[in-house]
Amino acid sequence: MPRLPAPVGPAVTPTMVPAPPGPFNRTTVFLDVSHGGTDSGSRINDSTSEKDVTLQFANKLRSLLTARGFTTVLSRDSDTATLPNSPDAPLTLDARAGMGNRARAVACLLLHATGSGHGVHLYSSELTPTSGEISGGPWLTAQAPWVTQSVKLERQLGQAITREGVPLVVSRASVRPVDSLTCPALVVELAPSGSESGSISDDAYQQRIANAIATALVFWQNTAQPPSRLVPAPALAPPPTVGPVTKGSLLP
Amino acid sequence: MTPRNLRIVFWVLVACIAAMAIWLFVGREQARGRVGSVADDTPLDAPYSHTESITLALANDAEGTVSATERQIALPTETTARARALLEHLIAEYSLPGSPHPLQSGAAVDDVFLVPLPVIGHSIDPNGTPLPGSDHAPTMPVANTDPNAPQPKSPGGELAIINLRGSFVNAHPSGVEVESLTLLSIIGTLHANLPQIEQIRFLVDGQPRETLAGHADMLRIYPSRDTTVQEFLPDTP
Repeated sequence: MPRLPAPVGPAVTPTMVPAPPGPFNRTTVFLDVSHGGTDSGSRINDSTSEKDVTLQFANKLRSLLTARGFTTVLSRDSDTATLPNSPDAPLTLDARAGMGNRARAVACLLLHATGSGHGVHLYSSELTPTSGEISGGPWLTAQAPWVTQSVKLERQLGQAITREGVPLVVSRASVRPVDSLTCPALVVELAPSGSESGSISDDAYQQRIANAIATALVFWQNTAQPPSRLVPAPALAPPPTVGPVTKGSLLP
Repeated sequence: MTPRNLRIVFWVLVACIAAMAIWLFVGREQARGRVGSVADDTPLDAPYSHTESITLALANDAEGTVSATERQIALPTETTARARALLEHLIAEYSLPGSPHPLQSGAAVDDVFLVPLPVIGHSIDPNGTPLPGSDHAPTMPVANTDPNAPQPKSPGGELAIINLRGSFVNAHPSGVEVESLTLLSIIGTLHANLPQIEQIRFLVDGQPRETLAGHADMLRIYPSRDTTVQEFLPDTP
């Protein structure tokens, strides 16, 4: 007769206490230029790939952000998708998230492009927001404490893009690696301006969108609020060992 | 009188005809045997009962939405086969001409596994005694000590593991919206018809894959929910 084992209780988790937010660079913006190298991304039309559109748009956005005093960190600035210090190591999705997290940026924008739809599509993470950033939390849901800030950023960028007269779609989606970013993070997907898919590469069209985003980020850098961190409570010190009290020990 | 050489040629030709006839007969018998072995009547899926009304969460690329649509189809009664048949019907809808979310036709789902939550493992019980007549060592259930492991929201909740075919995933159109809509459509269809499924995980040819076609996350465990309603976070001050 097989015996049932003793029930195993849930894992003991340490009590977490709030701590001040981590470092936050209000003048740094991380741009993840999606795809690159052999990964072309989606096919916009016969002559245009997603990787080329994202790089073209990232270069425009970087110029405008630099002119406004921002430091811009790009995951790639050429067609090759390799790590900056290791030309042989491929730039994986996790590596892109790592670059963004190390920048401690005020905004992380994942740039994508599509041949379907019109205007700009903004996506924030689908994760359920949590109250504080847990030290050593799970990698695949590291964005959860930042979701509230990401949604605020999505709203501000959306308003600026709408003011430019560009069609806008705002939604939520799980797009790798947005759920692993520890910063206000959005997926910015460019779509053609009209019925012709080639209009997505139009310089003036991209410039309008980049200008709207850069202007919105100037306001955003002063309103962004990083979430508080939750760290394990320090263990209580054990009570001092009380030795035998002798008559002399109590005497001054 | 027929010359001798002509008689020899005649009988050689007769021999060749006879050899070809024998060769064709043997080849036909071998082909029949191969076809017979493939046409195995062993049941693989549970037998279909009768048509019933089910809800498909159908995606629309132009509108960027997922909407509920009723269909009358026959489904197996066994839950796992039912989930697989549901998803095959869903993907078949997308391969029809004029589909608002066009996908390549063909089989998309290899398997669907339903795992009761919380997920537990089994290990060999060193103190147990084997059952009489059994060579297998006794095992005991082992709870998952990971605090982030999937937990049921209600008793009887299940985790659905959907093993997609690589041929389907490799041919899937690339793009944030189109990929997200495919996943939302699958999640919404399972939620509408199999309410005991609480969480959904995707594999491709039995292996985890980062994205569907370069964008949508395939590593995370998705909560089963009504995807025909778009979720927005409330405004925060």
